[in-house]
Amino acid sequence: MSRRRLAALVAGAIAAAGSLAWSGWPPLSDYLPILICYEVIGMSFLVAGIAAWMRWPASRLGLLFTIVGYLYLVPYILVNLANPVAFTIGNLSEGLYGAALAHLGLAWPTGRLRSRFERGVIIAEYVTGVGFGLAGMMFWNPAFIGCNASCPANVLLIGAGSRSAWNAANTISGSVELVLTGIVLALIVRHWRSARGWSRQAMVPLVWIGVAIGAEQILTGNLLLLPLSGLVSFGLAPLVLLAGPALFVISTVRARTAGGALGAAIVDLEPGAAPGRLRDALARALGDSTLQLAFRQPDGMGYLDTAGQVVEVARLDPGRALMPVTGSDEAVLVYDEGLKLEPQLIRLTAAAASMALEHTRLQAEVQAQLEQVRASRERIVEAGDAERRRLERDLHDGAQQRLVTLSLALAMARDQAASADPALGSLIESASKEAREALTELRELARGIHPAVLTETGLTGAIQALVERSPVATTVIAVPDGRFPTAIEATAYFVVSEALANVAKHAMASGAEVTIRKRPGRLVVEVSDDGAGGARTEKGSGLRGLADRVASAGGVLRVDSPPGSGTRLEADIPCP
Amino acid sequence: MQPSAAILIVDDHDGFRTFARSMLEAAGFTVAEATTGAEATDAARTIRPGLVLLDIQLPDFDGFEVARRLAAAPAPAPVVVLTSTREARDYGGRIAASPAAGFLPKDQLSGAALRRFLARDAP
Repeated sequence: MSRRRLAALVAGAIAAAGSLAWSGWPPLSDYLPILICYEVIGMSFLVAGIAAWMRWPASRLGLLFTIVGYLYLVPYILVNLANPVAFTIGNLSEGLYGAALAHLGLAWPTGRLRSRFERGVIIAEYVTGVGFGLAGMMFWNPAFIGCNASCPANVLLIGAGSRSAWNAANTISGSVELVLTGIVLALIVRHWRSARGWSRQAMVPLVWIGVAIGAEQILTGNLLLLPLSGLVSFGLAPLVLLAGPALFVISTVRARTAGGALGAAIVDLEPGAAPGRLRDALARALGDSTLQLAFRQPDGMGYLDTAGQVVEVARLDPGRALMPVTGSDEAVLVYDEGLKLEPQLIRLTAAAASMALEHTRLQAEVQAQLEQVRASRERIVEAGDAERRRLERDLHDGAQQRLVTLSLALAMARDQAASADPALGSLIESASKEAREALTELRELARGIHPAVLTETGLTGAIQALVERSPVATTVIAVPDGRFPTAIEATAYFVVSEALANVAKHAMASGAEVTIRKRPGRLVVEVSDDGAGGARTEKGSGLRGLADRVASAGGVLRVDSPPGSGTRLEADIPCP
Repeated sequence: MQPSAAILIVDDHDGFRTFARSMLEAAGFTVAEATTGAEATDAARTIRPGLVLLDIQLPDFDGFEVARRLAAAPAPAPVVVLTSTREARDYGGRIAASPAAGFLPKDQLSGAALRRFLARDAP
């Protein structure tokens, strides 16, 4: 706690204790309720003042609350000190707190008066308060209110005083007060009407409180002189003033609520929401409809907010303030100046915006990386396929071709040798047989590397060839005619090939079915059998590799294989 | 024996053509050669072979296309036998769908095999 605040606190405590002084007049039975009301009102302003000072150290609002509290309590201490000078000063200054109250109202919520005119009005409030106090005291004899011997002397009193002159001074001061109060209230209403966003909401309670306090001042003031009892005039009616400290409480609660709402708004914001939605959520939570979230344009052409408006960050409009979004020099928040009173709240907003933007950015980054990985996986698989096609073709053009020629040569040699030398003929015949077997093996190898039939005829012929080779009786239910992109045909082919290989190896099935259907935007490959079931992609079988292969084409492999009820394998592959 | 029947071997593989020619000539056939699809259609027009031994994989169009063109040419069309180092099943239904008389794997080439095709297609 700073020395200044400590001083304020100590002075407040002294004021509170001092105000308990009682001069002996009026009788305590009459005075006690009034004293309690004064105590409550004055102390409320002091406490609100000290609290406001601590909460808003940079603002004058705390000071103004405290001044109202002192100007409210001190005159009553002075009046009760049984000292003529103190008694006189106390009496002439008893209405001065109204000037401080008007000051507080006009300075709300920034703590500053907005114009020279307003400063003039406030100076007039203080000057007329003191001036009319002095004038009244010159004619006021305490005896007018029945306090003869028990009251200290009025040191300013001229002669025995003059009731009519005193009344005249009261009437004039009451009229002037009425005019000034009217001006202050009109200014407050004007502030409210011109305010936007956070400040406008901050002005709403002030308008009502201003009207209530203004009405109280007029009703109990010097002009109307309503026949009110001392308890009502000096005790109960002034309790309306408690609305002043309430203003501090209301604004504090509002700031706290906004802080909580900010957290909730960020939690509720869907991931990757557009900046416009982020701004809306923040503005709603903060209670500042004027909040702008602006981004620096990539071409260095200044800032644009989420509504597409240009934001001049170097020359903000009056009543606006700026806060960079934490951790990003790309984005700024521009908000109602009234929020400067709550720097914590603005920092929280900036941090929330930063988190949300960062989240969105990271998400976009991860998405982009995922897309890159997906594309590179697709390229790797396609490159692998192309390589296998090339290998198959090379085998076909090279080794297979040579073996064929060799077979033909051997056949001719055998035919020529057979009649002349049967032993040589049979030797050549076995060499020829070896060559044919080598050719058969090489063909199988080439087919395993890449099925030529797929390149040649597409899925229709390739699936038919697979089914014909399958050792388990397999029926083709449907295969769409026509050709599809190479990668998709290869994926569909390998699904059927691997599935039929699994059926033969593990399923103990008596039959299998292959169905390939073209659906809008995709190709659905289904292989089912009536075997033992129990197959799973996780088991590290060929199914895992097949699932990866299908995923590389952007598809999904589903395996439905309850033990004892056969296996149904479905690959859903995106296909234009 | 039909020694007069001329065979047109269409293949871009020199080694195969050489051996096939020797084998078929030894079997009593007259043999002509072509190395591309375009050459094949030209040769078929001028030589009018009785049988075309047509490799499916050619540098310009494939054997199926050449077979289609030969079939579309003015009659009489030769007997076309497709051939490849691959097996028939590597071409799915394409062989059956083509106007060719049939398919003979290259390693099973022999005069007798071709004669069977000629006999089957004889009027």
